Amino acid sequence: MAGGTVSLGQLEAWLARFSELMLENRSYLTELDSAIGDADHGSNMARGMTAVMAKIAADKSGVTPVSTVDALFKQVGMTLVTSVGGASGPLYGTFFLRFGSTSGAVAGLDAPGLAAALRAGLGGVLARGKAELGDKTMFDAMSPGIDAFDTELAAGADLASAAAGAYAAAAAGRDATEPLVARKGRASYLGERSAGHLDPGATSTAFLFQALAETLA
Amino acid sequence: MIGLVVVSHSRALAQAAVELALQMVPSTKPLIAIAAGAGKGLIGTDATAVSAAIDEVASPDGVLVIMDLGSAVMSAEMALEFRSGEGEVRLSSAPFVEGLLAAVVTAASGASLDAVDREARAALGPKLEMLGDPEPPVARPPQAVAEFAVELTLVNPDGLHARPAAMMVSALAAFDAKVTVANQRTRGAPVSANSLIGLLSLGAKCGDVLRVAGSGVQATEALARATDMVNGGFGEA
Repeated sequence: MAGGTVSLGQLEAWLARFSELMLENRSYLTELDSAIGDADHGSNMARGMTAVMAKIAADKSGVTPVSTVDALFKQVGMTLVTSVGGASGPLYGTFFLRFGSTSGAVAGLDAPGLAAALRAGLGGVLARGKAELGDKTMFDAMSPGIDAFDTELAAGADLASAAAGAYAAAAAGRDATEPLVARKGRASYLGERSAGHLDPGATSTAFLFQALAETLA
Repeated sequence: MIGLVVVSHSRALAQAAVELALQMVPSTKPLIAIAAGAGKGLIGTDATAVSAAIDEVASPDGVLVIMDLGSAVMSAEMALEFRSGEGEVRLSSAPFVEGLLAAVVTAASGASLDAVDREARAALGPKLEMLGDPEPPVARPPQAVAEFAVELTLVNPDGLHARPAAMMVSALAAFDAKVTVANQRTRGAPVSANSLIGLLSLGAKCGDVLRVAGSGVQATEALARATDMVNGGFGEA
């Protein structure tokens, strides 16, 4: 039987690991973005996730710390929206807001619950960015990652294997953005010159799945 | 009067664009709120700031949001989801500078949200026409059934440029009349005197004869006002 559960603490650990990866790869992401964008993705994401972790820490020491998945991710999403600045603010913000609102006021997620939350987040990114596969955006990593997660679960895998499969698929999706010509965002103004570079958004998204895989391993 | 929200990555850009647009409306100005930057002087946009700006200028007549590019559009869309207040809020696909200018002038005349958005979206028309781009020129409203008409010679040295055109739009908005203006030199179709973009698209130069036609209850009063303005060189001749 597929499954396992993810506690609120594990979800926080996922966010903490994602934050670490954003800080470690800040220069790398900005370098990717300087090739085809406005050279701010690394600093935007590092600033955003630092603000998220500060918010979570402040909340924990408050009178009534959040105890449900929807409340946690509402905090995460709103913090990103107000602190990131670039398009990744509304995009990652919407991802986490939808992730939370679909989960509801629960203290943890089972495997189908996590799959549904990820799927809802993906739907939010799609609605916000209106990207399609192959547009050279974060969607190119996120969509195959979440498809792989569902496929693994349907085949009876546990959460750890499903998350590992999702990371592998997201990383492959990220790598596949390199030859593409951007059709969305700032990079689309470059036309053909955007080819030959990894998409920074797909790259940060692959880190999000790496963080999930490491947390659930 | 509708409210306007200006969303930009850069506060300096938004402030300068608003300043430029407000030069066109010497008296009654629409409420304008700026949502720009990502806090702490960073370049970027913030959906919660957009939402707050919308609330700041909210009006029963509606709010039009003019954005620069990229995440400004996404943040504005997200702001609509955060909002619980009353009144229609519309995101305009208008070009940032030209659209804002047209929106400010049209909103100041008391026009509806629909009319302001239409003017703003058509605001690239004069530039397209001037540079001979193949895009269709500004949509011209159907000609009013004119009951009265006057022919006036433009005496302004610089012709019917943006400032006098804006003066005409706001002065004539006060009358219950449909007024159109045609340039007799170019023999182009008449345009509505409610439309800044329409008036600018006439390309009227000093010495051109304008045919101003009006219908409606206050048509003669509107034409008298237009006559005073044109003959008086809009105060700048």
